[in-house]
Amino acid sequence: MESTRAITEMILQEAQKTAEHIIQEAQKTAEETLEKQRQLGVHRATTTTRLLLKKAESEAELNKLNSIANAKIKANWVILSKKETWIDNALNEAKNELTILTQSKEYISILEKLIKEAGVILGGKELEVLLNKQDSKLPLKLDELAKAISEKTGFKTKLRLSAEKPNVIGGAIVRTANGKVIMDNTFDDIFKRREKDLRSEIAKILF
Amino acid sequence: MLEAFKAIKEKHLEAKRIIDEATAEAEKIKQEAAQRESSVYEEAYGAALRQTEQKIVEVKRKTAEEAEHELEKLLSQAEERAKEIEAKAEKNFQKAVTAVLNMILH
Repeated sequence: MESTRAITEMILQEAQKTAEHIIQEAQKTAEETLEKQRQLGVHRATTTTRLLLKKAESEAELNKLNSIANAKIKANWVILSKKETWIDNALNEAKNELTILTQSKEYISILEKLIKEAGVILGGKELEVLLNKQDSKLPLKLDELAKAISEKTGFKTKLRLSAEKPNVIGGAIVRTANGKVIMDNTFDDIFKRREKDLRSEIAKILF
Repeated sequence: MLEAFKAIKEKHLEAKRIIDEATAEAEKIKQEAAQRESSVYEEAYGAALRQTEQKIVEVKRKTAEEAEHELEKLLSQAEERAKEIEAKAEKNFQKAVTAVLNMILH
């Protein structure tokens, strides 16, 4: 009787053990399956996230470089425009001083020199001199100037003051009697002709 | 003797029942796991993506901070340069005007 009980208990114990083992194995398999899926998810995400992160880093870096480049351009532009303003101021001041100069005694000789230069360039002969309203009233020695031009060019020269009064700071426009060839030696035109050189020279001195 | 065999047979049947139940339970566990496969995969994938999104925000914030720092440096340098230009220009202004007059008149 005792041995029968021992056998039956053993049968049940074995069955219990087997049952536990079956369930444990199933749980292990289930966990492994889920872990495998988890790993797969992480793996797939790793590839995607690596690309996303790289893209975001590139974009952020590009934005940063763009901002810096724009700021550099802006800063350079501000500095350049400041320089341009100073150059403009210097040119304007020079024009003001020239205007003041036109009121001085020394101006007559400067104006005569400009007329003579223009007359020589035109090659003398019959020439017409155009001056602004104020300069037209100056006691210019046109005959002496004509003589000087004749000597330089080898052609008998006559200078005649035109009735036309250009609106300029100072200086003179000289043209042939037929009006076909003109030499503009007004301060205004000299400024215009030499503006590039003047600006460059001012920049060299100012900065 | 017959009693003993009977008892052993009964316990065998009981043992079989226990194992059958365990097998059924095991099958259920496996099936449940199979059903959860896709959601576990998506959860892991989604969690990794969310983590990366945070990293991306951090990368953008850090780069923007660096840019801001660079911009401040640039601005400060430009201001410094502008001051130098002002000072030099102010000092040499009359000299430049005289040079212009000389170029025009001579």
